[in-house]
Amino acid sequence: MTGVTTPSTLMRGRSELGVAALLGALAAVVAVDAANIRHTAVSTGVMGPQVVPFLIAAGLALCAIALTVNVLRGGHGHPEEGEDIDLTTGAHWPTLLGLGALILAAAFTMEPLGFVITSAILFYGSTLLLGSRHYVWGLLIGIALAVATFYGFVLGLGIPLPAGLLTGIL
Amino acid sequence: MENLSLLMEGFANALTLQNLLFALIGVLLGTAVGVLPGIGPAMTVALLLPLTYALDVTGSLIMFAGIYYGGMYGGSTTSILLNTPGESSSVVTALEGNKMAKAGRGAQALATAAIGSFVAGTIATAALVFVAPFIVSIAISLGAPSYFAMMVFAFIAVSTVLGTSRIRGLSSLMIGLAIGLVGMDATTGQPRLTFGQPLLAGGIDVVVIAVALFAIGEALWIAAHLRHGKPVTIPVGVPWMGKEDWRRSWKPWLRGTAIGFPFGAIPAGGAEIPTFLSYVVEKKLSKHPEEFGKGAIEGVAGPEAANNASAAGTLVPLLTLGLPTTATAAVMIAAFNQYGIHPGPLLFKTEPVLVWTLIASLFVGNTLLLLLNLPLAPFWAKLLRIPRPYLYAGILFFATLGAYAAGLQALNIVILLLIGSLGYVARRYGFPVLPIIVGAILGPQMERQLRRALQISNGDPGALVSEPVAVVMYTVIVLFLVLPPLVRWARRRAGIVPSGAAGPGAGGLGVGAASTDASSTDASSTDAASTDAASTDASYTDAASTDASSTDAASTDASSTDAAPEDADQSDTFVR
Repeated sequence: MTGVTTPSTLMRGRSELGVAALLGALAAVVAVDAANIRHTAVSTGVMGPQVVPFLIAAGLALCAIALTVNVLRGGHGHPEEGEDIDLTTGAHWPTLLGLGALILAAAFTMEPLGFVITSAILFYGSTLLLGSRHYVWGLLIGIALAVATFYGFVLGLGIPLPAGLLTGIL
Repeated sequence: MENLSLLMEGFANALTLQNLLFALIGVLLGTAVGVLPGIGPAMTVALLLPLTYALDVTGSLIMFAGIYYGGMYGGSTTSILLNTPGESSSVVTALEGNKMAKAGRGAQALATAAIGSFVAGTIATAALVFVAPFIVSIAISLGAPSYFAMMVFAFIAVSTVLGTSRIRGLSSLMIGLAIGLVGMDATTGQPRLTFGQPLLAGGIDVVVIAVALFAIGEALWIAAHLRHGKPVTIPVGVPWMGKEDWRRSWKPWLRGTAIGFPFGAIPAGGAEIPTFLSYVVEKKLSKHPEEFGKGAIEGVAGPEAANNASAAGTLVPLLTLGLPTTATAAVMIAAFNQYGIHPGPLLFKTEPVLVWTLIASLFVGNTLLLLLNLPLAPFWAKLLRIPRPYLYAGILFFATLGAYAAGLQALNIVILLLIGSLGYVARRYGFPVLPIIVGAILGPQMERQLRRALQISNGDPGALVSEPVAVVMYTVIVLFLVLPPLVRWARRRAGIVPSGAAGPGAGGLGVGAASTDASSTDASSTDAASTDAASTDASYTDAASTDASSTDAASTDASSTDAAPEDADQSDTFVR
């Protein structure tokens, strides 16, 4: 399979080396962390808490090497398909990064702003990023969904989602 | 007979008004979510998990049983009406089912899928009633070395048997094992991979991992490649079957059940192989082989039964040994762990009421599913038309909620995004997701068994092979790993060039990467054949022929391969 290298397969092969690098980095993190586990009286038994992490780090490193070799020899995995997936175009990075940013923002605003505001923004923002042009409907659905879920969880399931800014109103 | 009285007790518990209501809610929600395109059973179960937090153990497991079967039923509806298999196990259903729907026989396809699922689910759950206690009686005498070996076996099976690339499967497994390390070491209490963050001391919640991999990863992947424009759905009426349909369906149901259950029950799991096998068997036995590829009802009845039977079979290793072998089973373990329940042989002794109520509620859920979903099918079909931006925004909304609610920690959302990105990368580069979650769940348990085994033997590694079950497991693993490459090497020496080298990406709309992969370093596995059946005939044939020589430990390979080549010439009619 090494013979056939059109530009696109070459690029694809190269970007997967990033995954190999990720595996290698993960191996290093696991190994360093394991090496820093303090020796205590308890851990000096037959098998301490470091052994398995070291084995996993070794496994990760081996996979990183094997994957590198595989990719350099022309092997590559095939992207997952689906009815809603159009693989003829490349990944749409603005959508992807935007969604990532929205989720990350949700982590930081969940408690100060509360579940309803955070989740409504998450939903509305996502519909816009995903190409919806129903500006009013998306917002209304997001708010309705968030409020209904909030009451469902707090009253129905007894799970105290944070009310945040809207404490006292909801 | 003791089982039956316990089961009756389970029924008495499951049939109280309150519990019936939970089952009903579970079935409805499971179907509603499962029917949404792009949402497979595993994602359904993961997304709906938070709903069960507030219930007591019994109530939540009953609701869970409903969600489980509902999610699977919903998935088959989607495959038939939209040709969108939510999970690789329903790929085969889509082959004939979608053809039937396009030919105006959607109602019959849905009916044979629903009734077949009911028949298979009921028979297979009954089989579970008899098989599980038997396995428990054996498992209870097994020591740490055997458990360790079985877990290693499950790892190797999920990462190398399924999927097309061994290296990628094993890489996924290692990542999962690393995720499983996070938290306090169970034996000594020392923190590992917590980076000084006290919230991580308890480890990463399995629910968060599951939701991240199956919901966030999938939603991000689809979002990056979203196909714009209106999806084509096929409107459908209330499912029904004529006399002829019944006559042609009942045997495939039974055969599918017989094929599906054993495959689910061995801890190498996965419904892909049995559904594919069932398809091939039905095609061989059919009196109308010419209809296959154009919408043969047997091709829906058999694989759907096999799918459901194997799902029930999956519960055997899950409940008796604590080994999850499918994505859905992995999420179910997360649900159990919520309540501090750890499936395994002891569960039948310590929580008999719970176990048997769960099994009884599987019967109940299955029946409810049939009664509700036949009349509701036209309504479910409408759900398929939900605009995609709302659908995927909704998935992100509920995934975030689920992760946050799993401990009311905002940090969970950050972890959700991180592991979700990992799920995205996995889908982008064809790394299987299942080994990641199985590794994360079983990794810590495997370490415990390993340390226990070595503790008892005072550090002598020979203890690991001191039990016959362990020796058998290791032998099978070695055969798994060594035989296929060895055979390929031998064939290469003999001068037979694997047909996979013929051309990458031959075939129409499919990716065709299976053929590229097959020829490089890691080929084989019947799965390459089954999942690609829909897309490229070229990769289909060569994956099958590579396998013909490998004669993996799974003896059934032989039967699949001898039928496959003749299948190949038909498969070019499966243009999507």
